[in-house]
Amino acid sequence: MAADSKAELMTAYLDDALEADEAESFEKWLEDSPEAREEVESLQRILSIVRELPAVEAPPDFYEKVSKKLRRRRAGAETSVGLVSLPFQVLSIIVIMMIAATYLMLEIEREDAQIEKDPSAAEAQAAEAQEKADRDAAAASSGMN
Amino acid sequence: MDADEAAYEAKSNRRYRSKHESEEARAARDARDRRLVRRLKQGDERAFQELVHTYQDRIFGLVYRMIGNRQEAEDIAQEVFISVHRGIANYRGEGRFYTWLYRIASNTCKNRIKYLKGRNFHRASDIDETPAAHTQGEAGPVVALQSVVPGPEATVVGDRLERAIQYEIAQLEPEHRLLIVLRDIQGLSYAEILRITGLQEGTLKSRLHRARLALKARLEPYIE
Repeated sequence: MAADSKAELMTAYLDDALEADEAESFEKWLEDSPEAREEVESLQRILSIVRELPAVEAPPDFYEKVSKKLRRRRAGAETSVGLVSLPFQVLSIIVIMMIAATYLMLEIEREDAQIEKDPSAAEAQAAEAQEKADRDAAAASSGMN
Repeated sequence: MDADEAAYEAKSNRRYRSKHESEEARAARDARDRRLVRRLKQGDERAFQELVHTYQDRIFGLVYRMIGNRQEAEDIAQEVFISVHRGIANYRGEGRFYTWLYRIASNTCKNRIKYLKGRNFHRASDIDETPAAHTQGEAGPVVALQSVVPGPEATVVGDRLERAIQYEIAQLEPEHRLLIVLRDIQGLSYAEILRITGLQEGTLKSRLHRARLALKARLEPYIE
C-alpha cells in the first residue's frame, strides 16, 4: 500500500469515516501488518485523550470587550481622519504664504533694479549730493572768516 | 453550498460518531445565521451582539487551543469578531456563515503565530511548569497516575495532563495544530474543514495523519 494512501485510509479509519467494506478490508490489512496495527492503536489511545479535552469558554465579559475595542477603533479612525486633514489645511496656508512672500520679494527687487537703471534719477541724486557739498563748503569758509 | 457538497456532507456526517449535530439542528443554525447576517448587514448592532454570544466560545476555544495562552487568545478572538464586523458588507453569503468565520479565525491565528514567532514569544502556553516536570520523578506517567489515584488528586493530575497536552499542541506546526483542533478537539467534519482550509480531501487526510503522528510523538512521554 502506498504511503499516502495508507495515511489517508488510516485517518479515515480513525475517524470512522470508511464505508463498512472499506473498513473491513483495512482491518484485514492491519492483521497482516503488526507495525501499522501498533500505530493505529497508539493513535487511537492519543486521540481518545485529546478528544476528551474539555470545551474552553470565552470570558463572561467577552462581548463588552469586543464592543469597547470596536468603539475605540471607530473613534481612533475619526480622529486620524481629523489629523490627516489638519496638515493639509496648514500646508495649504503655508504654500499660499510662501507664494505671496516670493512675489513680494521679486517685486522689491524689480523696483530696486529699475531705480539703478533710471539715468535721470542718478543725475538728480548727483546734483543733490553736489548741492549738499557746496553748502557744507560755504558754511566752512564763513566760519573761518 | 451546492447540492454535491451538501450530499457529501450528509454522507460523511452519517459516518461520524462524535460531536456532530443532527441535520435538523444544522439547518436551524444555518437559518439563524442567515438572519443574523442580514440584520448585521443592515447595521443592527444587536445582531452583532447575538452573533458574538453565539460563537464566542467556539472561536475562543479554537484560538486558545491553537495559541495556548489565554490572554493572547482573548485578544485574537476579539480581533476575529472585529474583522467580521468590518467585513460583513463583503460577505456574499456563499457557503455557511460559520465556515467563513472559522476561516477568518484560522487566518488571524496563523498570522499572529508568525508575528509572535518573529518576536520570540515564549509564553506559548499558560503552563507554569515545564511539561517534563509532569512526567518525570517519582510520580511516573500522568495517565498512569490518573487511572489509579481517586478523588480530588485525580482531578489535579487531569488538569496537569490537560495543560501538558495543550502545551504540546501549541508546539506543533501551525497547519498541524489547526487540523488537530478543528477535527479532534472541535469535532468538525471533513467537509467543514475542507471549506475552512481550502485543502483537497486527500491532502487533508494525509496532513491530518502527519499532524496526529507528530502529536503522538510529543505525548508519548506522558502516557503509559
